[in-house]
Amino acid sequence: MKILYSWLKEFVDTRLSAAEIGDALTMAGVEVSSCRFLGEGFDNVVTAKILAQGPHPNADKLSLCRVTDGSREYPIVCGAKNMQQGDVVALARTGAKLPNGMEIKKAKIRGEVSEGMLCSEMELRLSEESAGIMILPPETELGKPLADAIGLSDWLLEVEITPNRGDCLSVLGVAREVAAITGEKVSVPEAPIRESDLPIGDFASVAVTDADLCPRYSARVISDVTIAPSPDWMQRRLSLCGVRPINNIVDITNYIFLELGQPMHAFDLDRLGGRKIDVKRSGIPRSYVTLDGAAREILPEMLLIWDGEGPVAVAGVMGGQNTEVLPSTRRVLFESAHFAPASIRWTSRRLGLSTESSYRFERGVDPGGTMYAADRAVSLLSRFASFAVARGVFDVGGGTDFSRSVPFRPARAGRILGRECTEEECADVLRRLEFPVRDEGQGRWSVTVPPHRFDIEREIDLVEEVARITGYDKIPTTYPESGAPEFSPDDRFVKITEDASEFLRSQGFTQAINFSFVPEKEWRQYAHMLGFDPSDAMRLTNPISDDTTMMRPHLLMGLLHNLASNLRRFVEDIRLFEAGKAFGKSFTEGHFEEPRLGFVLYGRRLPENWSGGPNALDFFDAKGVAESLLSFLGASPVHFVPTVAKPFLSRGKAAEILKDGECVGWLGAVRRELAAALEIPGAVFYGEIRIGAATRSRPPEAQYRAVPKFPPVIRDIACILSEQVPVGDILSMVSVLAEEIESATVFDIFTGEKIGQGQKSVAIRVKIQPLDRTLTDADVNSIHTKIVNLLENRFGGKIRTS
Amino acid sequence: MTDPSDRLKELQEAGLRAISAAASESDLLDAKGKYFGKKGAVSEILKTVAYLPAEEKKRIGGAANEARGALEAAFNARLDEIRERERLAREGSGLLDVTLPGRSASVGHRHPVSRTLSDIVSVFQRLGFSVRLGPEIEKDYYNFEALNIPKDHPARDMQDTFYMDWPEMDLVLRTHTSPIQIRTMEGMRPPVRVIAPGAVYRCDSDVTHSPMFHQVEGFAVDRSVTMADLKGLLTEFCGMMFGPGLPLRFRPSFFPFTEPSAEVDIRCVICRGAGCRVCKDSGWLEILGCGMIDPSVFGFVGYDPEEYTGFAFGMGVERIAMLRHGINDIRLFFENDIRFISQF
Repeated sequence: MKILYSWLKEFVDTRLSAAEIGDALTMAGVEVSSCRFLGEGFDNVVTAKILAQGPHPNADKLSLCRVTDGSREYPIVCGAKNMQQGDVVALARTGAKLPNGMEIKKAKIRGEVSEGMLCSEMELRLSEESAGIMILPPETELGKPLADAIGLSDWLLEVEITPNRGDCLSVLGVAREVAAITGEKVSVPEAPIRESDLPIGDFASVAVTDADLCPRYSARVISDVTIAPSPDWMQRRLSLCGVRPINNIVDITNYIFLELGQPMHAFDLDRLGGRKIDVKRSGIPRSYVTLDGAAREILPEMLLIWDGEGPVAVAGVMGGQNTEVLPSTRRVLFESAHFAPASIRWTSRRLGLSTESSYRFERGVDPGGTMYAADRAVSLLSRFASFAVARGVFDVGGGTDFSRSVPFRPARAGRILGRECTEEECADVLRRLEFPVRDEGQGRWSVTVPPHRFDIEREIDLVEEVARITGYDKIPTTYPESGAPEFSPDDRFVKITEDASEFLRSQGFTQAINFSFVPEKEWRQYAHMLGFDPSDAMRLTNPISDDTTMMRPHLLMGLLHNLASNLRRFVEDIRLFEAGKAFGKSFTEGHFEEPRLGFVLYGRRLPENWSGGPNALDFFDAKGVAESLLSFLGASPVHFVPTVAKPFLSRGKAAEILKDGECVGWLGAVRRELAAALEIPGAVFYGEIRIGAATRSRPPEAQYRAVPKFPPVIRDIACILSEQVPVGDILSMVSVLAEEIESATVFDIFTGEKIGQGQKSVAIRVKIQPLDRTLTDADVNSIHTKIVNLLENRFGGKIRTS
Repeated sequence: MTDPSDRLKELQEAGLRAISAAASESDLLDAKGKYFGKKGAVSEILKTVAYLPAEEKKRIGGAANEARGALEAAFNARLDEIRERERLAREGSGLLDVTLPGRSASVGHRHPVSRTLSDIVSVFQRLGFSVRLGPEIEKDYYNFEALNIPKDHPARDMQDTFYMDWPEMDLVLRTHTSPIQIRTMEGMRPPVRVIAPGAVYRCDSDVTHSPMFHQVEGFAVDRSVTMADLKGLLTEFCGMMFGPGLPLRFRPSFFPFTEPSAEVDIRCVICRGAGCRVCKDSGWLEILGCGMIDPSVFGFVGYDPEEYTGFAFGMGVERIAMLRHGINDIRLFFENDIRFISQF
């Protein structure tokens, strides 16, 4: 919201400068984001008169003017058309640097010399739009600096108002804040009105049927008015505050709403059917055309303003076309009401129609100030327009006391803020805010809160007032007493994720973070390859784009896209990981979200190295990452079993990771077709770990065993097996054949003609570690025989003898 | 006759000269033989020592042994040099170019947002806070209602919300990590000291807003938690995060679930307060929001506001990461360009 310093000074004659007000308000919770001197950039901009105007010889859209600032004549090329000979205009002479940054230099434009520029209001930042150059009143003295000519030795404050402070959405509201901070007084101007003899009841009638949504409805009626432009000073204030001037009637309502925060509506009385106003709910669904020409779908609960024939406005939101003020209007009813905030907000939301008026009403407009606002409007209007004011007012609900009393204990403020708040200090703050206090004894006060302060209903709200008016810098810095912090399962989980991330980083992986939402379109396109079932999708109602329509069912696509885009940027040998959640619908809990760790490998095993060597990644690199990661996290032992359940992985090159029989992840080679669809050439390896499931059980504490004192015996056994036999099964069975077998590893595998079709040769190395004595040959041979028997009988192997 | 000790000195000097002049092992052995071998000059003197009077025996004997020791040490060092040189001449250099790169997988990089988040969390863990996590798809009740943001309240406009397309479940993507306050307090009695990090979502996208970003929420509840404690804690945090002694200021603000509420500004880390584009010439950077937990929030979780007080604070991780690393566009974080991430 924009506030003019000069306007503010009319309501509080403060000693503070504009910049000081900006700082003081900011530190009291009314943030001033900028404070701009309006005369800035007006050097070398002077008033001047157009002596002659003609067409530019070489350009249809330009004209050639001769202007004078009273002492010299200037040739000017101008693009605007709205001026005539004799007009007084704003001339930026060469050397001027305008508020919008434009520098004026002597120039030749299409062959014609131009020694300056005629300025528009927009170029001078006097308004947000302008149709042509600025035309000043004809009596303006020539050669005067523009800032002086139009009274712009003023400052414009940009104020950010939090949603709880609807009362600050006006000059008056900000003035009250300034007064509370400085201890100065707010002065509200008198609103003298000379009424005619004709009573208001002869002109119109006002009723409020649904008073629950409209606790107060005030109105004034004027007649014999002529619609005309407002005076320049008013138009200028409106423009500077971002409101487009229209005519004297509309402008006065806008002026009042900027000044007092009271949205007003001007009805053309002669267009009000039966010259009647009623305020009541729609009652039925209906369509109604608002001022902007749009047909609105009105719901039965919405509050409307009615005349004798039907609706004439959506209360507090927008007026209707059928009663708006026209150039021919002669009699006007000024509405100045208070509508219930929740009702206005609900209506505005449901209609998708937010206006300056609804914005204020839903934040709370002072129900105590409606009549004054109507009076101020009529009183101010009478300074520059002539009309008759009907005698008396409409003021339904006018007798109500809208203030509330709120209990307050100064000691409570001290306990919340952590500093002593004396009774004198609290009393002083409440006095500055003009909140009357009654002492009820024993440190308990009853504070009367004026109706404009919608944010103050409870003691804590008053504690905040004391804190912010005295200043947060008065609160000391202490350190909280230490409660015993306990270590939660979430602490452990965060540590596991952090450890996993650091482990992967040490393995050459770079961390990615992708959005959790993904384009459903793409997932549907590749549904068969992604294992995506649209009925499991968690969709957004209001995605920000087509690329963010549903929550990702797993992490693969994000990392694949990252891989593809990095390849396009000529990055080689890519290893990426991401720790994030996967989402979907679930049978038991409605939906699930699960932390996952996804990783992708692409390119060479080691970066290009001077020592050379074959280097292409394969499945076992990905598996090695998963194995060592899980071991690092204390999540072993795990088993890898072949799977066909993940269609995004190549058949025969995919495994699920099982821990205690539960699937805690999967990995493999990404299906070629999928990689190709994203224009990724060559093999991609991918793994995804369900990190919560994998680390759910704490690893048991390691138990000490005696370190062996006797030398181990190594036995190598080579065996020809069917290619179908999983070597992992052999290793796990061999390693439990005898207590003394410490490990069984594979050190060679090969196939070929010598071995035979469908066969493979597997060489196993067994480390036999005696526990309490040196083994005899007989002991070792007995173990060897057990292994041979297992290989032959269980796995159908043929032992090779060298 | 010259004193034998002077003679020894002469012999030692001459011997050392001969040793350093020796170009080969045999030269060196000659020198040894001449000066301190079994029949060398020094040894000859040593042999005579036995016949000297006791006092002289000690003096000359000591000097002779010293001379022999020095010559032996020089001999051994020179012998090593000569052998090493001969080995090199025989076997070729064998020297490694130790400046060649080592053989290993290169080390990757943490995402700057993840690293910043992790740093923030660990600062608070050291200050005695324990971690709590919560769901990203959240019930309207936890994201809004229980945080004192009723339906049809203007405060809902402060956060543009993504809604899940499943009306009967009343689910949103959480707009902040504050729902974890409610979930935590529902499950435990004070004292509570919790830090709650995670991804959050708002329907907004430009240079400084991303539809997904990260927040860290912290809160503490106990019998005598005050706003002064909140100031103390956050002053400590900003010191640990941005460097000690950095000025900061607390200014009143509004959040529906805290009262009194404050925004915390730190002195602009770019211009140190002189005014720049990043701080919009104010000299201050808004870094986090905080306040005393509103009594009505306690109402939702069954804490008695007369007995307990608490504070809460929340900050945007991307914003802090942007300030730390001088990043000017939040969207860079989610493009996952390795050339970007590997800068951190």
